[in-house]
Amino acid sequence: MDDNVISTMIFVSIGLGSLGLFAFLWGLKSGQFDDSSKFLGGALHDSEEDLNSAKKMTDKQDKIKSETKQ
Amino acid sequence: MQLSNKFSACSHCHLEFDKKTMIYESFQQKDHSFCCKGCQNVFHLLKDEGLESFYDKVGSKKLHSVNDQHASLSKFDQEGYAKKYITSKNNLHEISLIIEGIHCNACVWLNERILHHCEGIIEASINYTNHKAKITWNPKEIKLSQIIEKIQSIGYNAYAYDSHLQEERVNKVRRDYYSRLVVGIFCTMNIMWIAIAQYAGFFTGMSQSIKDILNIAEFALATPTLFYTGWFYFKGSYYGLKNAMVNMDFLIVSGTLSTYFYSIYVSLTGVGEVYFESVTMIITFIFAGKYLEVLSKKNAVDSLDGISSSIPSEQTIINSGSKKVVDTTLVQAGDIIEVRPGEKVAIDGILYKYTGNFDEASISGESNPIYKNQGDRITSGTICLDSVIQYRASKSFANSMIQSITTLLEESLSKKPKIEKIVNQISGYFSLMVLAMSLLTFIGWTMLGISFEDAFIISISVIVIACPCALGLATPVATLIGVAIGAKKGILFKTSSHLETMAKATTIVLDKTGTITNGRPDVINFVKEKDFDLNLLYSLVKSSAHPISKAIANYLENMDETVKEYQLNEIKNIEARGLKASFKNFNLLGGNAELFKEASIDLNLNSSCSVFAFSIDSKIVCFLELEDKLKTDAAITMKKIKELGLEIIMCTGDNSIVANNIAKKVGIDVVYSAMLPKDKADVVKDLQSNKKIVITVGDGINDALALSSSDIAIAMGSNTDLAVKVSDIIFINNKITTLYDAIALSKSVFNTIKQNLFFSLIYNFVTILLAVLGYVIPVVAAISMSLSSLIVVGNSIRIKRIFKNG
Repeated sequence: MDDNVISTMIFVSIGLGSLGLFAFLWGLKSGQFDDSSKFLGGALHDSEEDLNSAKKMTDKQDKIKSETKQ
Repeated sequence: MQLSNKFSACSHCHLEFDKKTMIYESFQQKDHSFCCKGCQNVFHLLKDEGLESFYDKVGSKKLHSVNDQHASLSKFDQEGYAKKYITSKNNLHEISLIIEGIHCNACVWLNERILHHCEGIIEASINYTNHKAKITWNPKEIKLSQIIEKIQSIGYNAYAYDSHLQEERVNKVRRDYYSRLVVGIFCTMNIMWIAIAQYAGFFTGMSQSIKDILNIAEFALATPTLFYTGWFYFKGSYYGLKNAMVNMDFLIVSGTLSTYFYSIYVSLTGVGEVYFESVTMIITFIFAGKYLEVLSKKNAVDSLDGISSSIPSEQTIINSGSKKVVDTTLVQAGDIIEVRPGEKVAIDGILYKYTGNFDEASISGESNPIYKNQGDRITSGTICLDSVIQYRASKSFANSMIQSITTLLEESLSKKPKIEKIVNQISGYFSLMVLAMSLLTFIGWTMLGISFEDAFIISISVIVIACPCALGLATPVATLIGVAIGAKKGILFKTSSHLETMAKATTIVLDKTGTITNGRPDVINFVKEKDFDLNLLYSLVKSSAHPISKAIANYLENMDETVKEYQLNEIKNIEARGLKASFKNFNLLGGNAELFKEASIDLNLNSSCSVFAFSIDSKIVCFLELEDKLKTDAAITMKKIKELGLEIIMCTGDNSIVANNIAKKVGIDVVYSAMLPKDKADVVKDLQSNKKIVITVGDGINDALALSSSDIAIAMGSNTDLAVKVSDIIFINNKITTLYDAIALSKSVFNTIKQNLFFSLIYNFVTILLAVLGYVIPVVAAISMSLSSLIVVGNSIRIKRIFKNG
């Protein structure tokens, strides 16, 4: 077998695997696995109203961030 | 919702109440009814805030009715409070709160929404699983007391908890360990299939270019494992060296690090074989064990938070006739506290007004409720069962029983088991010996005049071969199988190392109630004096939740399947005496001898057990004798355990007559009776100072101290959350026979471990010798390594066969 084929296969398979691994680690760090019931239930409460409220929250956070930078 | 005509449901909390007591109002062309002002206020608040979709989300679930009496909020803005609970960052404040009254997802949604609507709150997220909230706010725009007020205004309550102390930190450590473990497992899984290709290539021939590709891939996988997952061991050996100590961590680091650099050297020069897969496997396997340890520690911490949160955070104080709600920690000795039925007592004191029954099972182990009169002592942690009482606090919260038990447990958690210290010491010597040997080998061979390169490889191979693979597997595989068999038999080991300690145990300390006995009364004798309608007795006992009433109802149901309940009138619960009711023209009376004495009805009885008599129109028609029965096979189990060579001791909070009676029946010779939780712990400590290894078996908070100070703690059943959490081994099926199984299993596992260790030490001795002499070429090392591991694993699997039919 050609060396290139083997190195490509190993690189691609381990690369894809590590993509999954990094996604999982990111999820872990950002606390997405801390509270499974809330995330499952959260899907039930997904509405325009909640989206607006979430937007308002991020606006408030952005404002604080820009204030502290100045 | 279909309701009977008499009751109607509250529009907010959905609880049902008598129609007459409801508050009615018509709002937006709809009729609403409320159980109280609090619920009505919350209902309107939600409408005003545009959050009425809460009611769609909550469905028909029932909530708590809104309590609008709260302690003063001013303490939240005091400086001491802020110092203890609030952390500040970039001019923003952050606090962790526990929110009371959360039932479902909709409650979480509502709390988050109302906080998000609040000006000045930057972030608010609530964990549904443990009801803990993290809130960040801008102190210039809003005060903490206003935030708490907001939460209270929608019918919930919040109090701060100190996240720095316990759970938060443990959680963070656990998450960190978990990511490291995941990386390790991922790399090991991938490196294994590359390694298999290399093994195959070794036997069938493989071109150097393919070898190079595989080496690079293995290098890429081994590097993160060694330096990310294995970072813990680098740190450990650094601190060890700083204190002039060579520990097991150092051996792992020096072994894996030298193997790693040797493998890099090999892949660059193309001479010999690489050992990247050994590096990842050793690190990952050892780290997995470490992770399990962290996990068990987290469970223990969770349980402590659990007890603290089960203690009510507020107390009702009576001050010159008027009631005031204050924070539990602010109550002083001498204050008069009111406790309502079903509430837990948080502070020790003396009963001052009214009388009532107390459930002391969690403190003294007494299975029957205790009737308390004015002037009697009330202990924190007990539950007031049936009446409103007032008592005078004799201590502050910090000095009360429940808080001192919590503090003691917290201290015991930070102590390390003895066995771990010994293992660390021995491994220290072992590591030093191996390092010295490798160095001597290197010097020896260079003096003999072979090349630097060969001498280096030989000395490395000494470390690699000594890096104890079989030795490392000897204990974990055997214990893993032991733990798995245990789980099938209803024995849960918190950590596998307990198997070892248990096998060496010399003494068992048993609690009586709930351990040797069932922990609840059962009817043992039923005497009918006259013929009567059984349904009357059944209806009477059905009206009460007292353990004795429950036992009788159960007994009647078993005796006669056709018993049915009548609608009795004027049911009255006479405290610590019994029950009174009427049906048609009959006057029913059921209870203990005291009750009939007071009613001047003649009851001639002499019995050593609890008696429940039943009379119709002042004539005794029957009586029942009840007793806390022994568990099935208790006596046989005790005999079998004695045959294994263990000494059995019984420790109970009950009086000596009951204790000796039970002990005689099961064949226990040493009995300590009327023991307080601390006395039990002292008994355990005395035994330990006499060089005994003690197993304690118990089931309540009253045993928690003894459990935590003994070498092995076993909790029966799932009776008390706390006892389960402080214990090392849990029996799920609540059978006493499991105790024998557990001891036999641990002995068998321990024997296997000894065989394994003996074999692997011999193996290590021989192979190190061969390696020092330079006879071990790397591939032989690899094959003999896996062969020795296979022998150890095979020997351990034998345990499974022994316990297959038992």
